[in-house]
Amino acid sequence: MIEFRGVAVSVPVLRAGRLAESKTLLAGVDLRLGERRVAVVGANGSGKSTLLRLVNGLVEPTSGSVVVNGLDSVADGRKVRSEVGFIFTDPLSQLLMGTARDDVELSLRGIVPDKAERRRQATELLAARGLDGVADQSVYDLSGGERQLVALTSVLACRPQVVVADEPTTLLDLRNRNLVAEALWGLEQQVLVATHDLELAARADRVLVVDAGRVVADAAADEAVEHYRRMMS
Amino acid sequence: MNGLFSLYAPGDSVFHRLPVGWKYLIMFAATFVGLLLRNPWVSLGVLAAVTLALTACGVGLRHALGLPPAVWLTAGFLLAYQIAVGAWATGVVVACNLVGALYASRILTATTPGPVLVDALVAAARPLRFVGADPERIGLAVMLMARSLPMMWDAFGQVRDAARARGRERNYFALVAPVVVRAVGYAQATGEALMARGLGERRSR
Amino acid sequence: MKKTSGAIDLALIAVFAAFVAACAMISIPMPFGVPITLQTLGVLLTGLVLGPWRGFLSVVLYLLVGFAGLPVFAGGTGGLGVLSGMSVGYLLAFPFASLAAGALAIWFVRAGFKVRYAWLTVAAAVGSFAVIDLAGIFGMMVVGQTDFVTAFGYNLPFVLGDAVKVFAASAIAVAVNKAFPVLLAARKPAAA
Repeated sequence: MIEFRGVAVSVPVLRAGRLAESKTLLAGVDLRLGERRVAVVGANGSGKSTLLRLVNGLVEPTSGSVVVNGLDSVADGRKVRSEVGFIFTDPLSQLLMGTARDDVELSLRGIVPDKAERRRQATELLAARGLDGVADQSVYDLSGGERQLVALTSVLACRPQVVVADEPTTLLDLRNRNLVAEALWGLEQQVLVATHDLELAARADRVLVVDAGRVVADAAADEAVEHYRRMMS
Repeated sequence: MNGLFSLYAPGDSVFHRLPVGWKYLIMFAATFVGLLLRNPWVSLGVLAAVTLALTACGVGLRHALGLPPAVWLTAGFLLAYQIAVGAWATGVVVACNLVGALYASRILTATTPGPVLVDALVAAARPLRFVGADPERIGLAVMLMARSLPMMWDAFGQVRDAARARGRERNYFALVAPVVVRAVGYAQATGEALMARGLGERRSR
Repeated sequence: MKKTSGAIDLALIAVFAAFVAACAMISIPMPFGVPITLQTLGVLLTGLVLGPWRGFLSVVLYLLVGFAGLPVFAGGTGGLGVLSGMSVGYLLAFPFASLAAGALAIWFVRAGFKVRYAWLTVAAAVGSFAVIDLAGIFGMMVVGQTDFVTAFGYNLPFVLGDAVKVFAASAIAVAVNKAFPVLLAARKPAAA
């Protein structure tokens, strides 16, 4: 369960070298998200990234609070971050080590103390996503889709209870988009995805439409996607 | 950990097969015995021993025993200086320690791959738990540092190329500011990537 | 401004340790024949940009990784071999130089001193001359078994390069602090 309680986010704006006024990124957000698959759609700059980043404390609310499975995202930030895995748009800014195997092993530190066992589990997790062939290649030599799947594998290796993904398919071609979509919607965890990809959104249990820092529609997939199409035309 | 800087030269000598802990012990012993005892015969003996050991590493004499001219010059100068002031024993100690310690380190660095060194340092952080440090975070910092080395080196290269394109390659200091800006940006992205997985947080008190 | 997170602190410390290592590998030919590296510049900047504690820990991490055998010291060496070399004093002083430069920088900035560049130069100069050079001279006295005056003489050829690096460090720090103003003022309330 992810709850937004009267959340607003604003950032100070620098004008002529001084902090002049503040810009509102998000306001008046009150939501209780209990569905397993939730999508957030909205134009660039609408505030959907901010909405997602609130969930694991990458952004802190200026007012109100965000509560994930009963934990406050600021007061219990550490605990929340260990329970919420976050997938970035660009997997390269997500991968911390040079190869897929090293990266997944890094996630397993702290969970699996034995080094050999860690390696075995990393290999297994990669193989389960069909990535065994590229486990020891430099992450720079992987295709965009492979990179995103490695990022997903690494984040899941931390055993999060909630997975949040910020436009995970934006940089991918159609085939890889489908691969990543399958992987995300197939998870047993609660998944919250921001996307421009209306096909991806259409498969969610609930879709939020965000515009100019506000949630303007909140409904089942068909209805919300239709609303978004009308809004954009 | 591809692309990690390392002085490793592959081989199958005794020292290549020796567990890394023993090699650290040899390096510690050879470095500190000479420094602490300050006896010319001990320092000479240590130098002879590490020289022999290095040649036994089978990494080629040049890679094993070669040192930059500045090191030979310094050692020679220190020896000559002490002889001139009438303290030949001190001169032998100082010069032998200088070269001996470099060779002792090389037994480790020439026969141990970089990732093994990183793992050893991560493992060595574990006992620090007892003085209140967080070995998980130290280990993570070591791995991230090793991972960032090639990145930072590349950043200097890219900035130099960019400066060259504008015909301003000679001002070295002008190269550094953009590299620092990149370093901060890269660190912030890395920090966010850690947060995305719940890694690298301070332990709760 | 909110406090930076533990994960971002950790990443800053690790990345700047790597930055110091990269600086140590860049060697600049000098008119008098003794090449200088950007190592001390990296150390001072780490303090000026990250502040005293992150700066200190970052340079400690750099030394640890070098002692463990990765070739991150000037001239591409690693291991404990540097401990019986003439540069041992300089090397061991680096974390404290970063700490001193960072502490002074934060103090000057928070006290609201004008002409930031001048005060950051003072902070860098204290780190470079009062901490690194002094410890370096002491190190050469021990390693070379010689007196203060002789060791002081060994240090002299480097003073000019050090002075250039001090000015460069503060100029670069001013530029970087413009891009990331929160770093030095992490615990200062947001300016209105």
